[in-house]
Amino acid sequence: MISAIYTFAMTTGANRVVRGARIEHVCGDPSLGSEKDYAYGMRIVGTALQALTVAVPGPTLFDPQAEETPEAVHAS
Amino acid sequence: MTTPLRVAHYVNQFFAGMGGEERADVGVSVREGPVGPGRALQAALGESARIVGTIVCGDNFINESPAAALPAVTAGLRELAPDVVVAGPAFGSGRYGLACGMVCRAAREAEFPAVTAMHPDNPGVAAFRREVIILPAGESATSMQPAMEGLARLVLKLGRGEALGPAEIEGYVSQGARRVWDRGRPGYQRALDMLLAKLHDRPFVSEVPFRAPDRVTPAAPVADLSRATIAMVTTGGLVRKGNPDRQVAANATRYHRHSVRDLEALTPEGWEAYHAGYFNHIVNRNPNYILPLSFLRDLEAKGRIGRVHEWMYALPGVSTPVAMARELGRGIGEDLREARVDGVLLVAT
Repeated sequence: MISAIYTFAMTTGANRVVRGARIEHVCGDPSLGSEKDYAYGMRIVGTALQALTVAVPGPTLFDPQAEETPEAVHAS
Repeated sequence: MTTPLRVAHYVNQFFAGMGGEERADVGVSVREGPVGPGRALQAALGESARIVGTIVCGDNFINESPAAALPAVTAGLRELAPDVVVAGPAFGSGRYGLACGMVCRAAREAEFPAVTAMHPDNPGVAAFRREVIILPAGESATSMQPAMEGLARLVLKLGRGEALGPAEIEGYVSQGARRVWDRGRPGYQRALDMLLAKLHDRPFVSEVPFRAPDRVTPAAPVADLSRATIAMVTTGGLVRKGNPDRQVAANATRYHRHSVRDLEALTPEGWEAYHAGYFNHIVNRNPNYILPLSFLRDLEAKGRIGRVHEWMYALPGVSTPVAMARELGRGIGEDLREARVDGVLLVAT
């Protein structure tokens, strides 16, 4: 699940949660200009696809903004 | 001394002593007086009510052929002319629980008050709790006695035409309805009492019961993205431009699926958001923000993923009761499972 309100997604039990940009533009950010916007959206979608390949024990956050730390953050 | 209330009791073939699984397809019959657990119910009722007859039906018959079984049950009830109908208790037995729910609903439709009892996890609870009075019972018949005592108490109330109080007081499973009633003291006093109790580690009962969200077993990971079929779902209220399907903007009771087979990306000319929970104008300029088709097509062309599933699913995820959300989610999930997709991206606004 890709969501900007990712903490909510986790507490309500989604197992693979990907941090989206904003509620109004989950997969990207128009304020970055079209090129960077697309790259940001692609990073979010790429992280989501990556999340699908990882076994998770329960609600787990995958944060595309934490570029250098591919380590997943687990709930509680 | 008033005349005792007339009670009709419904039991399945097993509790009627006819047999177990091998007799589960037996049809509807009506017997005089209490049968099997009806005797325990009669003991709990005492002098105030009398079981005038027992309706028996096999669990398989009533579940597989309700159109044949339920009219026979209703006819039996009319014949017995009870003040109250009791079904079960069904304990943890799923088919029996569903049967008790159906019987109570049929009774209510024939204007007989009805009550049943079963274990909270019995599928009969999820299916019927909104329309049927269900008392929680134990998992098995070892808890017959307390179940019958609880039923007897409600039988007397219902039979005398007394209005039942709220679920938390009467003890039945919450029906999800809100009624206005006076708790005697204003909310701020009750809230402060609760806060003080909490700070002093004293017990207190919340007026807003917390229902823990379902835990879903995580799906197994996708082994090879480059061969995977990936589907997209959005709760961002994506609709075809102009909303020709007349989807609502909140409190959805249905979802729509649309083919993306011939699309490379979602364009503002073809799609827009109709969702009462956020400002839609940014998505209306680029709908791929809530359904990432453009990105997935890119990755598909590069061979990073196998292919994009032809169908995408959309609804506005706002103001939706959990029960409805669960039903909608189950429908989408079943579709996607049947289509054998390997992974799903769900974008939630």
